[in-house]
Amino acid sequence: MSALRSTGAALGRLMREDKLSFLGLVILVLLVLVGLFGPWLPLGDPTRIAAGPRLGPPSWAFPFGTDELGRSYLPRVVEGIRATFLLSIVAVSITAVIGSFFGMLAGYFRGVTDHLVARGADILFAFPAIIVGLLVAAMMGPGQISAVAVISIATIPLFIRVVRSVTLSVAGRGFVTASEVAGATPWRVMIVHILPNILGAVIVQLTYAMSIGMIIESTLSYLGLGVQPPQASLGSLLREGSAYLTIAPWLVLSAGIVLSLAIMSVNLVGDAIRDAIEPLKGRTLT
Amino acid sequence: MRLIGYLLPRIAIALITTLGVSILVFLALRFIPGGYADILLGPFVTPEARAAIAQRYGLDQPVVFQFAHWLWSLLQGDFGVSMVTQKPVIDEFLRRAPVTLELAMIALFVALAFGVPLGIASGVAGRARGGFGRVIGAVGASVPDVVLGSALIFVFSVWSLWFRVGGYVPFSEAPVENMRVMLLPGLTLSVFGVALILRTTRDAVMQVMTEGHITTAVARGERPRDIIRLHVLRNAAIPVVTVVTTYFGFLLSGAVVVEVLFSIPGIGLYTFNGLLNRDYAIVQAGVLIAALVFISINMVSDILYAAIDPRVGTGNRR
Repeated sequence: MSALRSTGAALGRLMREDKLSFLGLVILVLLVLVGLFGPWLPLGDPTRIAAGPRLGPPSWAFPFGTDELGRSYLPRVVEGIRATFLLSIVAVSITAVIGSFFGMLAGYFRGVTDHLVARGADILFAFPAIIVGLLVAAMMGPGQISAVAVISIATIPLFIRVVRSVTLSVAGRGFVTASEVAGATPWRVMIVHILPNILGAVIVQLTYAMSIGMIIESTLSYLGLGVQPPQASLGSLLREGSAYLTIAPWLVLSAGIVLSLAIMSVNLVGDAIRDAIEPLKGRTLT
Repeated sequence: MRLIGYLLPRIAIALITTLGVSILVFLALRFIPGGYADILLGPFVTPEARAAIAQRYGLDQPVVFQFAHWLWSLLQGDFGVSMVTQKPVIDEFLRRAPVTLELAMIALFVALAFGVPLGIASGVAGRARGGFGRVIGAVGASVPDVVLGSALIFVFSVWSLWFRVGGYVPFSEAPVENMRVMLLPGLTLSVFGVALILRTTRDAVMQVMTEGHITTAVARGERPRDIIRLHVLRNAAIPVVTVVTTYFGFLLSGAVVVEVLFSIPGIGLYTFNGLLNRDYAIVQAGVLIAALVFISINMVSDILYAAIDPRVGTGNRR
């Protein structure tokens, strides 16, 4: 626990001293708040057709302009933020559970288990995300579940590799040996002693996986393989707007800028947490 | 001898990975709703026709036999037949591969040309003065290809300048025209790579700068340029090579969205259109080829390690 507290203190110091990290945190908090409380904010109704002119440019009444049905685009983008974040969080949670489990298994038991897990991770890692997206869309049809599956498939091998290597270093330390000598079962050792000590690395990977997840979601939805209209995600909004790219560029630009800001804020916060935990270690996620 | 000891296990692992990848891809096609016969024949099928198809494609045999048969055909270069054109899909992939390869090479070149120098400059400048590297890295890693590509298409279709959007011409026919079409998509694809290579180079350089032999070189009074060239870059090269090869592996397939955006007729667009046409043999071959390329590139990177790092295989590597 004291380790966690000192990490928290280091993170706080970093946020105060480093403008870029602080900027990331502010943007992330803002986006999460807007995503959470969007429906109760006075932004307008995202579903109301002909609220304004068709494909109207940004104005005071419609800050992000209006789409081809005259819907105000700002509340739609807010809906998109919520969907994109939610989808990535669900996918990354699945990744965190599966990836941490197999990573710890491989790092703690080593030997044959390690080899099996590593080969499995290698196999998943060989499939590039968007290409897997095509295959999954062929198997399960396009949709949110496909997008979640693709994000998990793409991020699990990265997670396994990192958790495995952190577990390896933790498993060699004295308190783990002491606990084993005292007769603790492997599961107890892993959950009570190893898990709390790899949590930092897991959280850092979680943020990186999250930003990868958002990139994959938006790309798949843009290609029509992820979130389907009328539901809005930042990716599906990009797809809708791209039909009017030359006559109403504000549609693609507003969704695109919000999406880029979201990904950047998650990355910056991840970097800050990483720097607070292990100041000199290199980046682990490619 | 030490090199063989280093490379053999890696070749074995690559082969195991290849086998696993092909099993997954094979199984995936079995799970496509409706099954193979329905896809081939459409919804109105007589049981006789279905049985005939099943027999012709060996669908009535145990899955293991089917897999072995499929794998054997693969080894002979048979990646299946397009249901639309009834021609071998591998021919189409080979025809389009140079296009995607060109795109990937442009992206890799741009990524290296900007990522490495910026990373070194930012790493040598250190935490206090190297902030520009962090900003470029953070922005570059965060703008998805779709967003950047759309923005470029908007800008360059309103003000054409010199570039063109769409209308691909092969390099061999008209090199200048080809560049007018290919530079924008290549640039789009490169931005994530610039950020990735910049960040890796920066981290590696900063890491090496803290090590004792650099302090020694400074104390000896060596010129800063020589210190960076002789002591920093060589040691910082290893993580950069890893990340470059991984990036290149992803590039060849990450090209899907860029090819769709800019209508570049490479293997990514072909695979994507295969999916839209429910021509699953194309999707299957596309996924398999992407994974095989990725595995081969990783093999090459392992061999490169051995060339760069004399410690490889001697057991002295940290």
